[in-house]
Amino acid sequence: MKKHTFVVKNFLLNLLSFLSLGMLVLLWIVASSGESSILPSPYEVWSKFISLSENPIAGMSMLGHSLQSLRRVFVGLLAATAVGIPLGTMIGWSERFRAIVQPVFEIIRPIPPLAWVPLISIWCGVFEFSKYILVFIGTFSAIVVNTYAGVNLANKDNIAVGRMFGARGIRLITDVVFPSALPSIMAGLKTALTTGWGVVLAAEMISANYGLGMLVTRGSDSNDIQLVLVAMLLIGIIGALMSTAFTILERRLSPWRTDLN
Amino acid sequence: MAENNPYKVEVRHLYKNFGSLEVLKDCNFNVRRGEFICVVGPTGCGKTTFLNLLTCLLEPTSGEILIDGKPANPKKHNLAFVFQEPTAYPWLTVRKNLGYCLSLKHVPKKEIASRVESIAKLMGLSADLDRYPSELSTSTEQKVVIGRAFAMNPDLLLMDEPYGQMDIKTRFYLEDEVVRIWKELNSTVLFITHNIEEAVYLADRILILSQKPASVKEDVTVSLPRPRDINSPEFVRLRSYVTDQIKWW
Repeated sequence: MKKHTFVVKNFLLNLLSFLSLGMLVLLWIVASSGESSILPSPYEVWSKFISLSENPIAGMSMLGHSLQSLRRVFVGLLAATAVGIPLGTMIGWSERFRAIVQPVFEIIRPIPPLAWVPLISIWCGVFEFSKYILVFIGTFSAIVVNTYAGVNLANKDNIAVGRMFGARGIRLITDVVFPSALPSIMAGLKTALTTGWGVVLAAEMISANYGLGMLVTRGSDSNDIQLVLVAMLLIGIIGALMSTAFTILERRLSPWRTDLN
Repeated sequence: MAENNPYKVEVRHLYKNFGSLEVLKDCNFNVRRGEFICVVGPTGCGKTTFLNLLTCLLEPTSGEILIDGKPANPKKHNLAFVFQEPTAYPWLTVRKNLGYCLSLKHVPKKEIASRVESIAKLMGLSADLDRYPSELSTSTEQKVVIGRAFAMNPDLLLMDEPYGQMDIKTRFYLEDEVVRIWKELNSTVLFITHNIEEAVYLADRILILSQKPASVKEDVTVSLPRPRDINSPEFVRLRSYVTDQIKWW
């Protein structure tokens, strides 16, 4: 009986989600149906998407452009993670280190990644490396701040227990502090993933030979609104998929957390 | 020679000041090997400071703590601690929690596995070995913490009001459990509580602390046979006696 109601409730909730997506499409159809509407209809966008597979842009399929954008995000994000988690841990763990690093960090942090574009272009050119750097800048602070907060708030009793058992230094950090801080670190990575995706597309819109952001600019320059919408939709769908994949990964990494189910 | 020394722990002229605040003043007592000691005292008398000194988390202002005749040293001695709040590591399964301190001491994996199995059997946790603490009740989680402490074969097991948050039924049950394991493993336990009935039920000896600055005001031997009957006249007499001694109002 109880299981039965559970299934029904789940079904209704899923139905609501589908209905809301349906409403979005409906709204789109209505908005694009007027005589003078500049918004292409869903059908036109779909046909554009199909035709793009026959006439690829810059010699690359839609999947290719998407993968290029994804690669840029992941390289930048990986580098930011590799530097950001140790840095955040040190800021959270050592008061002295915090006193040295935090003021510098607090000043650099509010500068939006795109404000770095002129400098980065001069230093690193306009090619791949500059995009990695931009993603790095855009994702770094979310990772550092969340790691720092998690480490700083790691359960004091847990640390005392570790100390009492004789865990010291690195061992104490990897065994006790890190798992304590993991929920917060993962939240930081999730924010970073979303920001990174936004940053890479913006960077591609400024200058790139391929990637979804470049398609938006290309569509805009050649008055091809269908192309713009195809790129926008792909950006949205891929972003949502990444977010879902991340949640699954998080559940795998922390099987003890009951709040994730 | 350690073998001739009947005392596991000797505390001599222990003083602790925080600035001008005297918290402990001339504390003296001994704990025999295999003894179960309860420490009671008025609220805020410095029980926590007392414990932190014993675990070497704090340095005494003066005086000394000897374990097996040598100054207490967390690197040489196994000191285990059970806190008020259950502190099983939420990210480790019960099995990993029980074996954690052993893995820190570089005990071989096979031996850890077999010691964990036997401790789990003793604590009635065998069925829960692969579960996470979040899947357990609070009392079972506290059992994991107690098991984890016993698993390291501690020289001294310190328990700081471990059952303070539990309901009566759970408390009675866990009190019997801790006595059973203490006997089985022949450990030395120092148990802090504000519950006088609990102290009389558990202890071989009760140390009554005075108000701040705290010293050992009285040392009461409890020689009632175990398991103890909390309604027997002798039990009731001892309980009222300790209550009278502890009164600060």
